[in-house]
Formats: sequence, C-alpha cells, structure tokens
Amino acid sequence: MPLGTLDRTPPPIFKQGPSALSKLIFFSSLALFLMVADSRFHVTQPLRAGLATALYPVQWVALQPVRAARVFGDYFTTSREALALVELAEQKLAAQAVRASQVEQLTLENTRLRKLLGLREQLPSQGVAAEVLYDAADPYTRKIIIGKGSLQGISAGSPVIDESGVVGQVTLVHLLVSEVTLLIDRDLAIPVLNVRTGSRSLAFGDSAGGGGLELRFIGSTVDVLEGDLLTTSGVDAVYPPGLPVARVSRVERLAESAFARINATPLALIGGARHVMVLQPQTQGQSALPAAPASAAGANPPGRKGAIQ
Amino acid sequence: MIMRGGQQLLLPVSPMFIGLSLLAALLLDMLPLGRQPWMPDFLALVLVFWNVHQPLRVGIGMAFIFGLGVDVHQSALLGQHALSYTTLSFFATLAQRRLLWFPVPSQAVQVLPLFFSAHLIELIIRLINGDAFPGLPILLAPFLEALLWPVASVILLSPQRRAPDPDENRPL
Repeated sequence: MPLGTLDRTPPPIFKQGPSALSKLIFFSSLALFLMVADSRFHVTQPLRAGLATALYPVQWVALQPVRAARVFGDYFTTSREALALVELAEQKLAAQAVRASQVEQLTLENTRLRKLLGLREQLPSQGVAAEVLYDAADPYTRKIIIGKGSLQGISAGSPVIDESGVVGQVTLVHLLVSEVTLLIDRDLAIPVLNVRTGSRSLAFGDSAGGGGLELRFIGSTVDVLEGDLLTTSGVDAVYPPGLPVARVSRVERLAESAFARINATPLALIGGARHVMVLQPQTQGQSALPAAPASAAGANPPGRKGAIQ
Repeated sequence: MIMRGGQQLLLPVSPMFIGLSLLAALLLDMLPLGRQPWMPDFLALVLVFWNVHQPLRVGIGMAFIFGLGVDVHQSALLGQHALSYTTLSFFATLAQRRLLWFPVPSQAVQVLPLFFSAHLIELIIRLINGDAFPGLPILLAPFLEALLWPVASVILLSPQRRAPDPDENRPL
C-alpha cells in the first residue's frame, strides 16, 4: 500500500487535554453566563457587535443567491402585471391628489395655530432609507435585519416605517446592519390614537395569535369599532404623531371580563417590506433645540425591549 | 485501528476541507429564507458529523464558537445556540466510538435523540426567557436533520473515498 493513504497520525496517549465532561461544564457555564448577561444585564452588546462585523462577509455571500433570485424574478414579471401595478398606482395617486392639495393650506393654518398656542413647531424628522436584508431566523421573535448600521447614523430606538405605516423600532445597532423589532413581536408596544374617537391606548404585539396587534386594557364599554384606524399618538416621544399603524380587525366584548378583546391588523407590509425608512426618534430631534427643556427621556435611549419610555 | 468488516479504508482528511464544510454549513444556515421553525440546522449536522468522524480536530470548543456566530446572525439570545451545540458536541463525542460500528441508516437513527435534545434545550431556554412557543413545525427539524445524516455521510466522506494517487509519495 502506498504511503499517505491512511490517516496515520496515532491518537495522543498521554496528552489528551481536558476531558469532554470538563469541556462541557466549562463551555455550558460560559454560555449560561452569556445568556444571563444578555437577557438580564444587557452588557453583551460589544461582543455581539464584534461578532456581527466578523460575520458580515459570510452573511453577504449568503445573501447573494437570494438577491439574484429576486432580480431574475423581477425581470420575468410579465408586462401585464406591470400595467396593472401602474393602473393601481395611478388610482392611488388620484385619490391622494385631493388630500395632497389640501396639505399646503393645512400646514400653513397649522403653523399659525401652533404659534398662537405657543407650541413648539413640530420638527419634520429626517429619515434614512434602508434595504431589508432578511427576516431573523429566530422563530421565537419577530425581527428583521436592515442593511444600515451605526456607520450610516442609525441609532437604537428609531422608529421604522414603510410606505403604508409603521413597521417597528430599531432595537439593536451593529456597525453595518441593524435589527428592527416588528410591531407584531410580543415584546413591542406602541402608543396609538384612535382617529375616529380620539382615544389613546397602547397596542401590543401578538405574534402567537397569527401576527397582529392587540389593544389591551380597553374597557368593554369604550367606543371601538371594527375598521377604526389607529395612528401613532406621539405621547411616547419616539414615534412622530400621525403615522398610520393598524386597523381594528376584531372587537370582542366578553360578558365575564371588564375589558374588551380588540385585535388589529398592521397596515405596513410587515412580512414583505423590501425597503423601509428609519426615522430619527422624536426625543433626539427635540433635544437639539436650544429652547427645549432637558428631557430625561433623551438621555436614556431605549434598551432592547424598551418600546415605551 | 480496529475496523468493522467490509468498511472502506479512507484517505486522511484534509483540515481545509473540514473548515470549508463547516463554513458552507454556516452559509446554508444563513440563507435568508425567512422564519421557518422546521428548517434543519445544517451547521449542527456537520458539527456532529465531524465530531463523530474526527473527534481530535473538531471538538466542543469549536461547536461553542460556531454557536455564538449563529446566535448573532439570528439575533437570538446570545449563548442559546452555543449551549445547545456544546451539549450536542459532548454527546457526539461520547457516542463516536460506538456509532461508527453501525451502518449509516442505523447511525441516523442513533443521532436523532442528539438533535432532539439540542432543539429541546433551545426551546426550554426560550420558554424560560419568556418567549412564545413557535408552533408544532419545530418538531420536524430534528427528524429532518437525522434524515440528512446519510446525505452528509456521502458528501463529507467523498474526498476521503477517492483512489489514492501514487505519484504524490513516489520516492523518485
């Protein structure tokens, strides 16, 4: 038999290193320590960011086949579909034109009224457009990863919207990518305003119940109807007021409970958005104003799960 | 080396191939296919495979490091996959002397409890952390991983099954 055809290095007899059991104990305790540090003390952010940056080339390679598939898929979209889309867009535009023409006048009127009231002018938030890279594969949470990070000026806590409504909130920022927790994640809550009645409430994510939102702690006598539009109320100083969030899909008034069960469907394309807009959190914009009082909320950016301040 | 009757003599493994196969499995895991709870964990499969076949080269430490990488990529709890891969790798190390005496389909049946325990560990950790149960399809994942074991055996051992090249070590 020729040389080099067998794995000839004999296993070491005396120098075997630590036993498998001791390795197991060491690495398991390290993992447990990391988990506690991550979920309770939120101190693992530098380690996470470092690993994420090291993994970025591999992620980039993994993204390429899907990107290529998207490009080819788009290319072979039939002209019929394209025409239908154009028609739809024109209809939408016509419907919006009436309202858009009123905006100028309303804005002017609004500024005057606000000046009259002595209110601070509402700052238009600057936004950064970002591409959605992928859905986080973790089946226990609802998060997406976007392709802009701290290098592009994304900061944790920023609201994220798409063309039809609020998508979620940036919860973790790496160097080149950021993690956005979707509205339907059960750890996210968003303050909303019922446009029809003007009542404020909190919408919680309800990922277990088929991916919607839930309005909790609304008394069973409160006026909420199916089809009500919910927008951001702006009381949290994170989301700018007036962004559409969801539409009430089901109202259930139970005789045995003092609260109604209200479900809502998000308006944004939660599952299928490809491009999103990351806005500045309201507190940061306001703290730049010299006249603004130093707010405690501005000095305290939200943590991983802090949706409300 | 004591070998089972009828088993083929294998060429020495190239460490480069082990590294590349692990990286390829990580790539497969990172393919952005959305949230599929039933998606088999290719990296866990390849890690167990090399743990069984090359316990001196791929061990518990490497499993831990790859687990951290998966945690960061999935933006899961940091250490969740690290713990499950560490345990997986430990059980694979315990089983490796016994496992290679069996034919490949029988090996697949024997690695099924390993994958099952790995997924169970992740599930328990997340439930303790207060997350919701992601649905029954998650039960499919360990079965798919065990089904892929014969495929992995064919692909990952194929470079070692080539005919030896006598020119490489010819003295003249």
